[in-house]
Amino acid sequence: MQNSNTIETQNNKVLVVGGGLGGIRTALDLAEADKDVVLVDKDFTIGGLMTQLDRTFPTNNCDLCTIAPHLSESNRQEHIELMTMTSVENVAGEKGNFSVTLKTKPRFINLDKCTACGECFKQFPEFVRFSPGLDHRAPTCMRYPQATPQAFSIDLDKCTDVKALVDVCPAGAINPDDMPIIREIKCAAIVLSPGASLFDPTPLDYLGYATLPDVVTSLEYERILSASGPTSGKLVCPSNGRQPKKVAWIQCIGSRGLQKGAGAYCSNACCMFALKEAIVTKERFQEDIETTIFYMDMRTFGKDYELYLNRAINEYGVRFLRSRPHSILQKDGEDDLTMTYTMDDSTKQFEEKFDMVVLSTGFKTSDESRLLAAKMGVELNSDFFPVTVGLNPVVTSKPGVYVAGTFESPKDIPETMVQASAAACMAGADLPKYDKKPAEESEGVRERDISLEEPKVGVFICDCGENIGGVIDVEKLVEHAAKLPYVAIAKAEGHGCSRLSMANIRQTIEEEQLNRVVIGGCSPRTHLTKFQDLLGKAGLNKYLVEIANIRDQATWVHSGKPDEATAKAKDLIKMAVGSAVKAQPLTDQSLPMNKNVLVVGGGVTGMTTALQLAEQGFQIYLAEKSDKLGGLAKQLIKTLEGDDVQAFVGDLITKVQNHPKIQIFTRAMIVDHSGMPGMFKTGMQSGPQMFYRQLEHGVTILATGALSNRPALYLLDQSAAVRTQLETQKYIHDNPQAVKNWENVVMIQCVGSRTAENPNCSRICCQNAIKNALAILEINPEVRIFVLYRDMRTYGFQEEYYQKARSKGVIFVRYDVDSPPSVKAAGAQVDVTYFDVILGMKITVTADNLSLSTGMIADIDSTEELAMIFKLPRTNDGYFLEDHVKLRPVDMSVPGFFVAGTAHSPKLIRESVTQANAVAARAQTMLAREIINLGAASARVDSNLCAACLICVRACPFDVPFINADGYSEIDPAKCHGCGVCVAECPAKAIQLMQFEDDRILAQVEQLFERINA
Amino acid sequence: MITAERKPLEELIEYIKPFKRILLLGCNECVTVCAAGGRKEVGLLASGLQMAMLKNGSNIEIRQHTLERQCDPEYVEELVPMIDSADAVMSMACGCGVQQVAMRFKDKPVFPAVNTTFMGASERQGVWAERCQGCGNCLLGLTGGICPIARCAKQLMNGPCGGSTGGKCEISNDVDCAWQLIWDRLKALGLQDRYLDIIPAKDWRSGGGSGPRKIIREDLAE
Amino acid sequence: MEKFEPVIVAFCCHYCAYTAADMAGSLRLPYPSNIKIIRVPCSGKVDAQHIVTAFEKGADGVFVAGCLEGDCHFKSGNARAARRVEFVKKYLEEIGIESERLEMVNMSAGMGHRFAQVATEITQKIRNLGPSPVRTTMAQ
Repeated sequence: MQNSNTIETQNNKVLVVGGGLGGIRTALDLAEADKDVVLVDKDFTIGGLMTQLDRTFPTNNCDLCTIAPHLSESNRQEHIELMTMTSVENVAGEKGNFSVTLKTKPRFINLDKCTACGECFKQFPEFVRFSPGLDHRAPTCMRYPQATPQAFSIDLDKCTDVKALVDVCPAGAINPDDMPIIREIKCAAIVLSPGASLFDPTPLDYLGYATLPDVVTSLEYERILSASGPTSGKLVCPSNGRQPKKVAWIQCIGSRGLQKGAGAYCSNACCMFALKEAIVTKERFQEDIETTIFYMDMRTFGKDYELYLNRAINEYGVRFLRSRPHSILQKDGEDDLTMTYTMDDSTKQFEEKFDMVVLSTGFKTSDESRLLAAKMGVELNSDFFPVTVGLNPVVTSKPGVYVAGTFESPKDIPETMVQASAAACMAGADLPKYDKKPAEESEGVRERDISLEEPKVGVFICDCGENIGGVIDVEKLVEHAAKLPYVAIAKAEGHGCSRLSMANIRQTIEEEQLNRVVIGGCSPRTHLTKFQDLLGKAGLNKYLVEIANIRDQATWVHSGKPDEATAKAKDLIKMAVGSAVKAQPLTDQSLPMNKNVLVVGGGVTGMTTALQLAEQGFQIYLAEKSDKLGGLAKQLIKTLEGDDVQAFVGDLITKVQNHPKIQIFTRAMIVDHSGMPGMFKTGMQSGPQMFYRQLEHGVTILATGALSNRPALYLLDQSAAVRTQLETQKYIHDNPQAVKNWENVVMIQCVGSRTAENPNCSRICCQNAIKNALAILEINPEVRIFVLYRDMRTYGFQEEYYQKARSKGVIFVRYDVDSPPSVKAAGAQVDVTYFDVILGMKITVTADNLSLSTGMIADIDSTEELAMIFKLPRTNDGYFLEDHVKLRPVDMSVPGFFVAGTAHSPKLIRESVTQANAVAARAQTMLAREIINLGAASARVDSNLCAACLICVRACPFDVPFINADGYSEIDPAKCHGCGVCVAECPAKAIQLMQFEDDRILAQVEQLFERINA
Repeated sequence: MITAERKPLEELIEYIKPFKRILLLGCNECVTVCAAGGRKEVGLLASGLQMAMLKNGSNIEIRQHTLERQCDPEYVEELVPMIDSADAVMSMACGCGVQQVAMRFKDKPVFPAVNTTFMGASERQGVWAERCQGCGNCLLGLTGGICPIARCAKQLMNGPCGGSTGGKCEISNDVDCAWQLIWDRLKALGLQDRYLDIIPAKDWRSGGGSGPRKIIREDLAE
Repeated sequence: MEKFEPVIVAFCCHYCAYTAADMAGSLRLPYPSNIKIIRVPCSGKVDAQHIVTAFEKGADGVFVAGCLEGDCHFKSGNARAARRVEFVKKYLEEIGIESERLEMVNMSAGMGHRFAQVATEITQKIRNLGPSPVRTTMAQ
């Protein structure tokens, strides 16, 4: 790879098929790492399933506004070519040199001309019904206000008067003669993320989905709850428009091989989906509504998901019934639905009335994506999901073609995001390496000089759908804002962050020659950058914008008290205007990026990340606490799917040890840390002599792993017959003869997990038990195996191994957390006594082997120390806390830090490897940059006021200020971290922190009390 | 530097009670460095006085201004445009600054807002200690660079008194015995012999004993 | 006299309390609307003057919210803030304002619940204390 200058070969691109959340993530990760992407989606806009969700678990956040900026990242456009309404026709060639034929359907709207004004939508609103049956779609459908591309599309076949439609468009964008376009592109790698379809329950007549309007799927229920849905967020029964009093969810519809046509696998996300819907429902209607979930096993195995389940039970009073209902009927003359079901501790059949029943339908691959796989030469498994490499699930049977998201296997959003980044990493590695193009001087908009202008503020207030507008009257706020000092114009702006509103705001700035902007909307934490960019485009310095967080701080938290919320929103806007008036134009500081990477933790995760990044040419420092590489995986023999872990780990260690770009430090201890993203300095002691050295690096990756739990329960460490699952696996492997003599084996699940002390699920133990049970049966088919469990959480394809174990005779007995099994020593054996719910009696089994599923716990000592040194947040149970549980699952809140593997939460090796690859992709988005922008929040000294008193020199936590040769304090803006401590201590008031100047803070205080004094 | 500490609010309120419009002055020299009367302290005091007065039922007007150096007449001259709109002046400068202002504006009551405390040095952030009393006849050359006038409670000239125990002064365990320090330092310098020299009784005339002192540099004085 | 509703200014560190307040928002945890947040990059940025001015302008209560001990993004800004708050409390007493009206609190970014709880408790405390003496005389 000695190519020096830019090589304009055509196959230096990655094709990403599917513009859902995962596809967007993959495309953005590649683009931010300076790699070219073609993103195609068959739909009119990108966004996929995510855009139909109301809120997401476990924060119950409406993430549309968090994802919206992802969808319309304009500054990344130079690397991403977006093709909507486009499908893959044909694929030829091999890894590194694919040739793909794409077909784009006519939109009948010229994207360059369409302003998304909505005129056509207004005039021709209802031509066509939009599946899934509850949303309406006009011929010109734009599903939500932040859609990308921000343009309408027309279903010409359904249109009756084409001439009238064409005439209605003020921009002349409607083109009825639009034709399909066939195009061939070259690419080096392909990522498939076409998503999945949902199981269609129509054929299951006993559920009544086809005939009873009040039986809906979980996605349809989501649309009913959603503020942007067909009922504008009103929860009503589709049949009669009344608010339901009793809603039931039935789990596992189309999953776990239960119904005709159902997948044999578990659909992974439906338990949490139903929980969220039930909680949101309870949250909104509280005592007015009853929610019941009919389930087989509650599979809340994700990070902190168990806490969510506990909240549903304890705080929201959601009712849980372990039962598979028999049928849903509507009796003659009745409005409500009658559900028939039994319970496992009863022989009776129950009948119960519900107003609405929600079917938690599972995922399946669509016929279209199966066809796509066939075109790609990607092999599918018996469930019609791609066959992937055991320990690297994004790699398919076809070299150069990768998969991510729900097309790979059923999964939820965070796991989709992780796989999407991992696929970006793998696909990016297939691209030819070449030197970066010299950054072209972008033709930026000239910044207007406002130094002589009086402040002229524009206030733009979002309704954010129902989020703000549903609680307070935005128009009233606008009226109020218009009267504030220096405010030249105030406007309501719908979704301020939508492209349409952004364009409006920009236009208003330009037309009115505004020189300050205040947005009344959501948190500056998530949206300030976006509006700063907007100001830049409108020819204003980006620091002349202020956001009043009226959503998070008023409407969301005072939703029950609209008057108070309104008063507070007025105050917040007044304060923001006060602050904006005092804002001054600022210039960003920047520094060169250090491209070395510190990876903390030398297990599978750390080694995988290290290797990926080293292959991309970055220098890696790999720090391992113990004296050898390999981590917890060194104790594993095989995975459930039969992959040889030892061979895998051994190979990984060899590669890492021999890589010229990886420097390994064993017995390494991180002792100090300073610097900022892109230029960290970390002090480390390592080796037998505890030699100290300081490393300079731009990115830090935490892969410190977790510990195998070992609680003193059930005679563990007291009886030789009691083993952890990890020990069981090794014992089976090493002593097959002894196993042959076993008669009874008992396994107890959730030992030390899902308890008061360690409330979360350890995720790995159910499949571990199945794995060991199957291995024991392999050696000794006669043995009786009892698995005592609370919920079997064999998610995804693991379910099929669970079914296999059942069919091979493993006896699964559920126990209640209130009556756990008891264990007594019986010579070399143990007596395990448990209560059998179905038999209604206590049973004692004398076991030759008792395997305890002890799961994992966080390595609290390590994470605590590292969290202190690196200043990183952790969860209550000691795992590192990512920046955003849904959308940024491997990024930490401190830029430049990433987390992967079991340091994040318990997980399987393949999942750790995926996260490791994901982190490698995320890290590359930073490492690709040549400079780090430090922003403008630095302290500035007014030399005229400075008394050279040294107080700032002494107070600065980073030793930045010094008294210069001219005798006053000097602060290097490139070194300043922007905390403002010196500002607060300066006795001469000679220092100001840019962006947080004292007069801006005081202006907020003054404005707040303006009314009270008046 | 000259150190100072703000007077209790109560005392300051007594001063300004009869007045409505106050000009509150700071100084950007010593009192800024010792965090007693710089721009920041002026702001804090203004707010405090405002509130305290308000509580007493009177709404006063406080104008803040910090001079580069209040003990120089040219800087004080800056106040001319604002002095008429004030009924009284309160200064957070040291006594020199207060007097300079009082002398310039003879018809305005001028009140000190700080107690000028001592000439001291900064030990660390936020801590100042007395080091000099301006005796006009420096002995530091004889005492190893440690001043027995400023740092010995009894201002002894020839060794410690009987109250020196374990290197500490009898007035407080927090105060080092200056003579212990002098001895230690002389020893470290190998100048123990100096200790044997008798320092004659202090002539306090140079230290203000014969009335207010003045320095005139003939080459500079006009 | 109509029911007294205090105005409370919360100086919130961007890295913890401000984020916790956002978290309280996304979790829809209600707390009294009396709390008005001013975002600062670090609690160590909160000047004594800011606090005093808030009271001068009419605040009935002020709290400074920084990161948990040892967790300051800028090493020790929160510890400095705590010392400064103590200093201002003494000054408030001198002025004649109950020092309970000012408080330093610590929380992490993930503590949406704690933010809502702190906001509720402080509001209740200030309600019990009644309007600030400054505000009372100002109104006269």
